[in-house]
Amino acid sequence: MIQLIDLTKHFGQLVAVDHINLHVKKGEIFGFLGPNGAGKTTTIKMLTGLLKPTSGRALVDEHDVVVHPMEAKRVVGFIPDQPFLYEKLTGVEFLSFIGSLFGMKRDEIQWGISQLLDLFELDGWGDELIESYSHGMKQRLVMSAALLHDPKVIIVDEPMVGLDPKGINLVKRIFRQKSQGGATIFLSTHTLEIAQQLCHRLSIINRGKLIAVGTLPELMKALEDKTGQRGTLEALFLALTGKSLDE
Amino acid sequence: MNEVLLLLWPKAKSIGNRFKHRQARDLIRPAVMAILALLFWVVIFVLFYKVLVYFKSIEILGEILLAKLMAVVFLTFFLMLTVSNIITSLSTYFLSEDTRLILSIPVSTEKVYLSKYLITLGHSSWMVLLFGIPVFTAYGSVYGAPITYYLWFAVIFLVFLLTPGGVGVMISMSLVNLVPAKRAKGVLVVLFILFLAALYLFFRFLQPEKLVNPEKFSELVDYLAMMKLPTSPFLPSHWATRSLFPLLKGQFEDSMFYFLLLFSTGLMSILTGSWICRLLYYRGWSRSHESREAKMKGTPLLEGFLDFLMRPFHGSTRAMVVKDVKTFLRDARQWSQLILLFALVVVYLFNFKALPLNKVPGISFYLENVISFLNVGLAGFVLSAVAVRFVYPAISLEGRSFWIVMSSPIELMRFIWCKFWTSLVPLLLLAEALIILSNTFLHVTQFMMVISTVTIFFITIAIVSMGIGIGAVYPRFRVEDVAQIHSGFGGLIYMIICLTFIGLVILLEAWPTYLIFMARIGHRSLSFFQWIEVVFCFCLTILIILTAIFMPFKIGLKRLSRIEI
Repeated sequence: MIQLIDLTKHFGQLVAVDHINLHVKKGEIFGFLGPNGAGKTTTIKMLTGLLKPTSGRALVDEHDVVVHPMEAKRVVGFIPDQPFLYEKLTGVEFLSFIGSLFGMKRDEIQWGISQLLDLFELDGWGDELIESYSHGMKQRLVMSAALLHDPKVIIVDEPMVGLDPKGINLVKRIFRQKSQGGATIFLSTHTLEIAQQLCHRLSIINRGKLIAVGTLPELMKALEDKTGQRGTLEALFLALTGKSLDE
Repeated sequence: MNEVLLLLWPKAKSIGNRFKHRQARDLIRPAVMAILALLFWVVIFVLFYKVLVYFKSIEILGEILLAKLMAVVFLTFFLMLTVSNIITSLSTYFLSEDTRLILSIPVSTEKVYLSKYLITLGHSSWMVLLFGIPVFTAYGSVYGAPITYYLWFAVIFLVFLLTPGGVGVMISMSLVNLVPAKRAKGVLVVLFILFLAALYLFFRFLQPEKLVNPEKFSELVDYLAMMKLPTSPFLPSHWATRSLFPLLKGQFEDSMFYFLLLFSTGLMSILTGSWICRLLYYRGWSRSHESREAKMKGTPLLEGFLDFLMRPFHGSTRAMVVKDVKTFLRDARQWSQLILLFALVVVYLFNFKALPLNKVPGISFYLENVISFLNVGLAGFVLSAVAVRFVYPAISLEGRSFWIVMSSPIELMRFIWCKFWTSLVPLLLLAEALIILSNTFLHVTQFMMVISTVTIFFITIAIVSMGIGIGAVYPRFRVEDVAQIHSGFGGLIYMIICLTFIGLVILLEAWPTYLIFMARIGHRSLSFFQWIEVVFCFCLTILIILTAIFMPFKIGLKRLSRIEI
């Protein structure tokens, strides 16, 4: 469902993403881990059409994001790490706007809005201007917007930022349901616990390069082979990104 | 003072950082900006020079007319600066993002006031400064003024800016305290009423009907006596005129007295502002965050109307237009600029209404039609001024939410078209209303009416297209204040290109229009060569208009498709 082929991004002299190759299957929750500045957000921005790759390709549902951006974007629901929204619209108006951009019919939009506002516990806030929402509420609204058109692929950058424990639990439940329903979830995070609990497969990116891909047991096995010790995902993460637990 | 400088330091450093790591190719922008600004100055200078030379050549009245014109220029600047300072200070003192941080650090209110006063002054005065320099240089040239005039002009003009700045800040401080909660909208409604009052005063001070209608005076002496009357002896604009005008002839007369009056009032306004700030700023800031009425009760009428209008359009186009209209109407920072638009239009139309052309000897039917033709250029200028505030920022106003558009399945072409149509419709209505009303006041011929309405129609399309296109070339998605969008490099480029374009169109249409008009008046037909001239000029005009419509669109789209956020 998602394929990255030699995906590379340069910012001047800096190589932010360095020839990444990945394949994420349908219905999979795929964790994309890495320390700050590793290239997670850059990769996600290339996947969603916000950045153009310097070289390589990014395919979503077999559509090249650069060559056929409309087709690729149509199947994606994107949840960015910072919810910058149209502050002068109400929650309902914003969702209605997003639904129209994705070519949904009016009654579909209406139905979807009522369902999602209820699901994300925003139903009392639908007619309030977004400028009065808290950060967590904005994040939940962005999630509603990303799910409104029932996308085949959900791309999430740091999903739990700004959410309270109840919200985190809700999001985890929704992602699992969506995955079971056939949606692919590409999830970038540095919250290892979330990745461990949610993801079918994980990858670790460091300094623009993909340094590990596999299921959690596969990665643990790799750690054991490398260090001769059994450990946690945190230990693996630190070992691969060149840090120690004490740092 | 150190603390004030420290508060200004982040702004100064940000500007400095823009230049710090620039390579040779990055210098192109400031170089182009300097050249264009210079060209712009030359054009304004030449225009004013010609007008002033003409006025000066009028016997007896010439000198008085020149003094009166200077007073009018200063008065206009004073009123525009005051309104601009009120609006800008609302943003800098109450809405800008750095205010939270600044108010949380241990710096005295006076220091905050002074640093923000300087920022406000910079934001609201640069445009007036840009226009003022060639105007007053033209005065100097016409009189062959000594170098002291130019030096004093620089000093007087800078000092002249102080009072409207101080007054603007005082008014906005008081307003935010009078109107509870963060209802900038409500504040600006009061502002609007205040502006209407100011406008009324403006006209009374001008007394334009007396300027051009000497018939009402029994004797020429009375007329001259009236012309010599000051516009208002209590306004800084009058003091600036009285201190600068004698210097044109190297005479100091009362210059120093009026300069000191101007200077002391400027300082007093800053001091009073500081005092008012100490009393009201924190209270106003606090109140502006207390009650927030964010619940929308819905606007069924507007939504129904928009829905009806947009029915034939694609769903995403409809959504984008509705979003833009709603955002505009709900964002006081955007719609508040309508105040300036209102002022422009009222003054514009009033000028035509008040022009007693038929009562002034020597003004003929011919002149009325010439004025009507030049009116197209003037209307174009007004439209450019409106467009730089409302059309040019259309793309940048997406702000940090632009990721939504970029990650949605909406083609950039459609996105740009949405912006184009949303801007075109109101601007076209305004343009045609300006031209038709002013032509009606002028009683022009049907031919001139058709020529001017058709010309302004295409000029407006081009102005909007250039606004959207150039706005896409210079997008500013991260500005704190919407006013910063049009006051940047792109805004300046846009204004200059617009004025050049309008000038070209008027210049190219002038000759064929004159030929046709004279032939109609003389009840004769054009010769073969005249027809060739007419066709050539009109074809060239059409070519320029088409280029102005399509070229910026193409460039803007190309630039936007390369944007990375």
